[in-house]
Amino acid sequence: MSASQSAVRSRAEAIKVSRTFDWLILFTLFFVVLGGYHIHYMLTGGDWDFWTDWKDRRLWVTVAPIVSITFPAAVQACLWYRYRLPFGAVVCVLGLLLGEWVNRYLNFWGWTYFPVNFCFPSNLMPGAIVLDSILLLSGSLTVTAVIGGLAWGLLFYPGNWPIIAPLHVPVEYNGMMMTLADLQGYHYVRTGTPEYIRMVEKGTLRTFGKDVAPVSAFFSGFVSIIIYFLWHFFGKWFAQTTFISSEDF
Amino acid sequence: MAATTESVKADAAEAPLLNKRNMFLGAALYVIFYGWVRWYEGVYGWSAGLDSFAPEFETYWMNFLYIEFVLETITAGILWGYIWKSRDRKVMSITPREELRRHFTHWIWLVMYAIAVYYGASYFTEQDGTWHQTIVRDTDFTPSHIIEFYLSYPIYIITGGASFLYARTRLPSYQNGLSLMYLVSVVGPFMILPNVGLNEWGHTFWFMEELFVAPLHYGFVFFGWATLGVLGVVNTEVAAISKLLKKDLA
Repeated sequence: MSASQSAVRSRAEAIKVSRTFDWLILFTLFFVVLGGYHIHYMLTGGDWDFWTDWKDRRLWVTVAPIVSITFPAAVQACLWYRYRLPFGAVVCVLGLLLGEWVNRYLNFWGWTYFPVNFCFPSNLMPGAIVLDSILLLSGSLTVTAVIGGLAWGLLFYPGNWPIIAPLHVPVEYNGMMMTLADLQGYHYVRTGTPEYIRMVEKGTLRTFGKDVAPVSAFFSGFVSIIIYFLWHFFGKWFAQTTFISSEDF
Repeated sequence: MAATTESVKADAAEAPLLNKRNMFLGAALYVIFYGWVRWYEGVYGWSAGLDSFAPEFETYWMNFLYIEFVLETITAGILWGYIWKSRDRKVMSITPREELRRHFTHWIWLVMYAIAVYYGASYFTEQDGTWHQTIVRDTDFTPSHIIEFYLSYPIYIITGGASFLYARTRLPSYQNGLSLMYLVSVVGPFMILPNVGLNEWGHTFWFMEELFVAPLHYGFVFFGWATLGVLGVVNTEVAAISKLLKKDLA
């Protein structure tokens, strides 16, 4: 191979080749991250995300942001610190939402006939936009983790409120007070339903009524800060280009 | 004049840097095949997949499982064997243009890997959740498992393995040893398949319920993280391609 030889015939071809690689990289990154993020999210926060009767004011608000800030932090650690691309979190969340919506339509509804207004995914976009914006404006890991991580937790419930509010309207059914979302779950019994009854929104905090969601969101934001730091360093580890010698095996 | 004409002819006869036809045909193969699989699930999941002791379950689902095991083993053997046997033994002496062409071919493999990972880790894995929230299982080999664990996972393992082997055998930038993140991004998701052993063993204790966030499933989560190794693969590729184009883009 001669060092003086060129891989392309002209500057125009070099630009075209470069742009083509950009698209191939973006496509691959998007769908591989989608796959990894989705399997992570569905198995750490999935039940809260699958069903409206799990979307309560306590554990959904607490769990979903904590487990979902992971991949955005890791991908930001690569895209921003290597390429100054400020859309790591949005790319992750768009991928996750695409994977979820395709599934909820084609499988939850298309195969097992749960209505989509019972199994739509949570909305993570407001937090993702804020997380990327804070990184872009501050350029700082610490500021993004502390302000962005807290915002990620705090924004989750308001970001979903316009969607979930109609289903949190109280109804009386067979002498019991419940929400419309609870009623949906009552009619669509699933194999996970017993676990739902054991786990969802129990404890004395519920007696404080209106305070449950803000307190849960604040706690979630606090943990999201820590998880952001942790996953930032995971992301940096995954972004390395190290080669290992076959003698190491 | 004659020399110019010859040069133009040579360019026209040269293989394109990116074979778009192969890329779109490959993508179509996955999409059409999985479309057919989803149709099969829709029809035979309900009509023959509810009772594993029924004769029709054996006909439509267990036979599907046996056939896919055989086809996957044959496909992996032929594909990986071909890529290895036809390897370039003088990979360090190829021209820069040939190297660029091979990077494009490598990226066709990576695009296929992305599609295969999407179907395996996203589409068929979450689909398994809704099936088991609906149907109480009476076997480890449920219709959704036969597709998810034993079809879509092997397919992305075969595709990822082919992509890794292509890079290792044909690209100069992968001759310094084994790319750690490439190994992580291929071997990690591969480990999801052996982890099915833990999953099914655990489910023998909890056949009735399908709580997706149960700690029993965390093995899948851990190995799913390995897909982030794609960040390291992208960085390795960007460095190699930048080196090839740097002079012309300056």
